[in-house]
Amino acid sequence: MGKTVKNSSILSRGCFQNSFLAQAWLVIVLAVSFGTALAFVQISLSEVIAANKLDETLTQVPALVWGENAAQYAADINIPLEIIPGTVSVKKGQKTTYYPLYRVSRGKVISGWVVKARGQGYADNIEVLIGVDPDVETITGLFILEQKETPGLGNKITFPAWREQFAGRKTAKPFVVVKEKSTASNTIDTVTGATISSRSVADIVNQTVIDIKGRLTSQTVHTGEGQ
Amino acid sequence: MSKLPTPSERFIQGILPENPVYRQLLGLCPTLAVTNGLKPALTMAVAVGLVLLCANVIVSLIRDLLKPHLRIVIFTLTIATFVTIVDQVLSAYMYQMSKTLGPYIPLIIVNCIIICRCEVCASRQGPLAAAGDAVGQSLGFGLALASIAAVREILGTGMLLGIPMLPAAWPPWVIMVLPPGAFLTFGLLLAGVNWIRAWRTNRPQRGN
Amino acid sequence: MEYLFDIFLIAIGAALINNFVFYYFVGICPFIGVSRQVDMAVGMGSAVTFVMIIAVFISWTVTSLVLVQGAPVSSWVAGFFMSSEQAAKIDLTILAYIVYIFSISSSVQFVEMYMRKFYPPLYKSFGVFLPLITTNCAILFACLTVMSKVVGVENPAEAWDLGRALVLGIFGGLGFTIAIVIMAGIREELDLCDIPVPFRGAAITLIVGGIIAMAFMGFTGVDSGIRTALM
Repeated sequence: MGKTVKNSSILSRGCFQNSFLAQAWLVIVLAVSFGTALAFVQISLSEVIAANKLDETLTQVPALVWGENAAQYAADINIPLEIIPGTVSVKKGQKTTYYPLYRVSRGKVISGWVVKARGQGYADNIEVLIGVDPDVETITGLFILEQKETPGLGNKITFPAWREQFAGRKTAKPFVVVKEKSTASNTIDTVTGATISSRSVADIVNQTVIDIKGRLTSQTVHTGEGQ
Repeated sequence: MSKLPTPSERFIQGILPENPVYRQLLGLCPTLAVTNGLKPALTMAVAVGLVLLCANVIVSLIRDLLKPHLRIVIFTLTIATFVTIVDQVLSAYMYQMSKTLGPYIPLIIVNCIIICRCEVCASRQGPLAAAGDAVGQSLGFGLALASIAAVREILGTGMLLGIPMLPAAWPPWVIMVLPPGAFLTFGLLLAGVNWIRAWRTNRPQRGN
Repeated sequence: MEYLFDIFLIAIGAALINNFVFYYFVGICPFIGVSRQVDMAVGMGSAVTFVMIIAVFISWTVTSLVLVQGAPVSSWVAGFFMSSEQAAKIDLTILAYIVYIFSISSSVQFVEMYMRKFYPPLYKSFGVFLPLITTNCAILFACLTVMSKVVGVENPAEAWDLGRALVLGIFGGLGFTIAIVIMAGIREELDLCDIPVPFRGAAITLIVGGIIAMAFMGFTGVDSGIRTALM
């Protein structure tokens, strides 16, 4: 291609336009075919992905309200239960905090609520699921959804052995994380070497209890179709 | 002009002699990021392999229609499409793994390995050679990732894929699964590979 | 005030605590390749920061206005072809990655043209590295981070606005520049040392990078501490 060697900008611009136009058809054809392929992929997979996201939370809900064994028993003998989503929004000054939650009921009886809360941990945000009884008097379960704490140290807040400390505790007094073992009703033993991570989780639980106590009514959930 | 390598030559070259990570030093971002466990490392290698294979074959099929100006645009478009498809499939069928790998799956789009192979091999040779090249390079990539991931996971957690490999009394070197561990492990392994290569070229030939 | 506070935390988060190179491992290729001299490193870092700002701006704008479900522009255009409830459900996020990579390559083209016209000697010193900025993971990573804070957030009030996105771009690029300048300074010194043969080149760079990453680990928890102290 001897023409492109010439330095004249007008001449090379003309050649560029020529080959550009000649080439544009290939890009357009590829773009259309790839776009179609992507649309096809989206149509077939978007529901599966949305279901995955929801399942992540929903599979934890029965165990958080009834405890692992009872939830497993209920699943084994196929006891039907309704899990209805809702939101509580709490306005503090300029900021509004949203708590997505699920009301778990069997027939007409409300078994409990599961609230998704998040807060600052040691390294990054921690997202938890807190199971509470209908009056928010007792914590029935705790599950860590997302955390980026130090592996081997702060990571241990995800272990069942540590989380179980919260199950069955009354919410009358805020939880306090302590280093020495104590038998008071509102103390939680810290993870060895990860006091900040442990405290962060306790703070999230305390703040959530304060925020949602008294706010859970029948209006909280999205009833009706299309929700 | 020298003869272009055959498909099987491309395949063999990609695994060790022209290993994308240890020899060409390409695609280092996922190499350091996802190797804190063997499972994420292998998933990433398979994902890169699929994208590389599809992109190489498509580019090779249209190689006669490519001209200099829009070459890179077409490579990028092809690679981005296949990465999107792989990402969607991973989110649908391996949801937890896709969360672990996070933003590193879409970062396959700018993975130097794929663009480099499209440029060097797929735009010049037929689909068979391109496919052989893709499979070879992906195997090499997988091997490199697996080697780093194995070291990091065993030293960092004492386990490999959930199977304890070290005695329980050994305290895990948590730093290995954190960012500094990635740099150090890869640096030391790379030095080891360089040393082995130098040893092999310098030892007396066996009458070859 | 809240907003400035949030911006400050995003800024030091992106630049120091979650440094793109030492925490997220993006932008490693130029880190190993380019960081041999401090002035080259500064130039590369500034070019990457500049491209990152433009790319993040385009990504945020296109994502918020066209790609997300119920975005203004796409539902307005779709409103001509279908009912408004259906138009509000149009979700184009599957095209996000393609949009981002093209916005990055066009930003790089733009920067290239600008530099060639106004700073010819700088353009020449860059050589082949300027077009290679397109394949820099750090820029695409910044766009992806912005995407994750805009698409699929449960609470629409927490979705990032343009200010936060631009702050991420500016300070992420700044953190990348800090990383490669530190590395370049150390490598200038390393050139005078007697390094064992297997370690020469990339291996010693990675090991030194690991030690610096260890130093940067000291920043962990700084933002949570500041947040707790000031709130």
